[in-house]
Amino acid sequence: MSETTASLSGIRNCFGSECVHDGLDLALPSGRITALVGGSGSGKTVLLRTLAMLHEPDAGSVELFGVDAGRCGERRRRELREGIGMLFQGGALFTALTVLENVMLPLQEHTRLRGAWLKELAMSKVLMAGLPADSAGKYPAALSGGMVKRAALARALALDPGLLILDEPTSGLDPISAAAFDALVRELTDSLGLTVIQATHDLDSIWRGSDQVAFLARKRVLAMAPAAELARRDEPELAAYFRGSRSAEYAKLHAGLPTED
Amino acid sequence: MRLEDSSPGRATMTLGGAWVLAHLTETLPRAVDPAVSPGTLQLVGRASVLDSAGALAIARQVARWEEGGWRVDMTSLPESQHKLIALLKSRLPDMHLPSAKREGALARLGRATVDKLVEGNAFLGFIGELVSRGGRLLLVPWRIRWREVVAEIEAAGLRALGIVGLLSFLVGMVMAYQAGATLQDYGANVLIVNLVGIITLREMGPLLTAIIVAGRTGSSYTAQLGTMRITEEIDALRAIGIPPFDILILPKVIALILVMPLLAVFANLMGLLGGSVVAAYRFEVSFAVYFDRLPEVVDLTTLMLGLIKMPVFAIVIALIGCMQGMRVAGSALAVGRATTISVVQATFLVIVIDALFSVLYNLLGY
Repeated sequence: MSETTASLSGIRNCFGSECVHDGLDLALPSGRITALVGGSGSGKTVLLRTLAMLHEPDAGSVELFGVDAGRCGERRRRELREGIGMLFQGGALFTALTVLENVMLPLQEHTRLRGAWLKELAMSKVLMAGLPADSAGKYPAALSGGMVKRAALARALALDPGLLILDEPTSGLDPISAAAFDALVRELTDSLGLTVIQATHDLDSIWRGSDQVAFLARKRVLAMAPAAELARRDEPELAAYFRGSRSAEYAKLHAGLPTED
Repeated sequence: MRLEDSSPGRATMTLGGAWVLAHLTETLPRAVDPAVSPGTLQLVGRASVLDSAGALAIARQVARWEEGGWRVDMTSLPESQHKLIALLKSRLPDMHLPSAKREGALARLGRATVDKLVEGNAFLGFIGELVSRGGRLLLVPWRIRWREVVAEIEAAGLRALGIVGLLSFLVGMVMAYQAGATLQDYGANVLIVNLVGIITLREMGPLLTAIIVAGRTGSSYTAQLGTMRITEEIDALRAIGIPPFDILILPKVIALILVMPLLAVFANLMGLLGGSVVAAYRFEVSFAVYFDRLPEVVDLTTLMLGLIKMPVFAIVIALIGCMQGMRVAGSALAVGRATTISVVQATFLVIVIDALFSVLYNLLGY
């Protein structure tokens, strides 16, 4: 692993007496797509929120772009935030604004661009996210589920973030749209040099759309490696996840493993 | 970007520096033109940093050269930068901006008129639904959702006692001050009881209650139903087979009809009390005299003339609150807008109806 864009160390997150993370370590290599995988309730979203500085961990440190986010001042934290693009699970588009205005908002807030040039840059993000040009003037209520995800991606990309955090980007999409979304993330990662972490349940995204998989279990990142490698490991959680009936075909196809039954 | 050398039909541009969002300013970087006749333009060098905003700026420039007849060769740039610029350039033609349509004054007037008509129609429809559905349910009263009714009574009645009581008390005091200041000059201090008594029972108690309920409860009805519309909870109720009208709207109407007369009685009481305090401590009309005289100047009719209005206010407030909530569509913004409209309409109608009642009472000789 050459360079890391972001890393978590010794993270503990508790809600009341219930801890979802305890002593969790994770390092995201630059320019790679990392899939965050784990059962429901294993704390994927909380982990992403911790990484995005939306949730203060009870213990441990968050390092972003080489800066300890927990220890720096409000100004520095603001700058760090500009370097992070987050796609929320439900899109979280501002319903009172059109798609284009949603994308323009972070640009207006954090840059000196104005007028036509600002609009054009926002428009380029909308197009890069794979939306048709005429959708830019629409309000989120008029968009389909897949278009909402793409519009949210366009907004997340607005400031050319170094770190892109995607919370279940392909959930609720049909397989074709999901595959297109995966391809889009890959293309953007390569051309813009992004570092991406995506929480996902989508087997296609895990096996084909990611460079490596971070597997959450036992309140920490149990393992981090390409999916094919994880599928060969013998920890019970990994075996259940990667060789269970739904994953078996993928395991056979990509890792040359025999199916279990 | 720097012009390296140019000769007719050939030019070389060197790309350098950081082409990132943070360095770009309000306007597009100015065009650099190789002032020679067009041919092949070679882009060489490399940007130290390049993000998509910088790439877009370069792509625009390249497109402008190409319009001028140049053939731009970017293959000498580092491959990743070349690809990013090419990617953005390929999308340039689609980047025409959707222009905002602006309607003329006449069109807006027409739209506003139609909107108002539609809204009036919806209100009538709502009253119709209340009568037909509510009427049918009254025949089988055990099917009314009494549990919801009780919950609404608590929210709209019990929890409103504090504010209704306090405001009525204060208005009672204010009225006594104003009445007393004038009556004092004529040595007719004791007539404070007449003025405060009659105005409180007939007008101030009921009207104040209705306005507070419109602002406090009517708005919460709109916000609740509006939010439920947006989160599709109303549709979910329909899908489960529970008519939203039965479980959400009718209990609110019933609860308000039951609770508003009671609130008005409480408001009357507190108003009279407020008046008595000022009368006693400022205008030498003792509590004994005040409450002795009160039954002589007001009677049951005075009280009833006020209370009779309450069920009407209740229906208007509940229906407007619910109707505006059910008409919400689209966004979180619409909930806020509907809530404002709901309070304004309900308050407006309450005062108009109160005025109509006054005219009616006058004609009937009360």
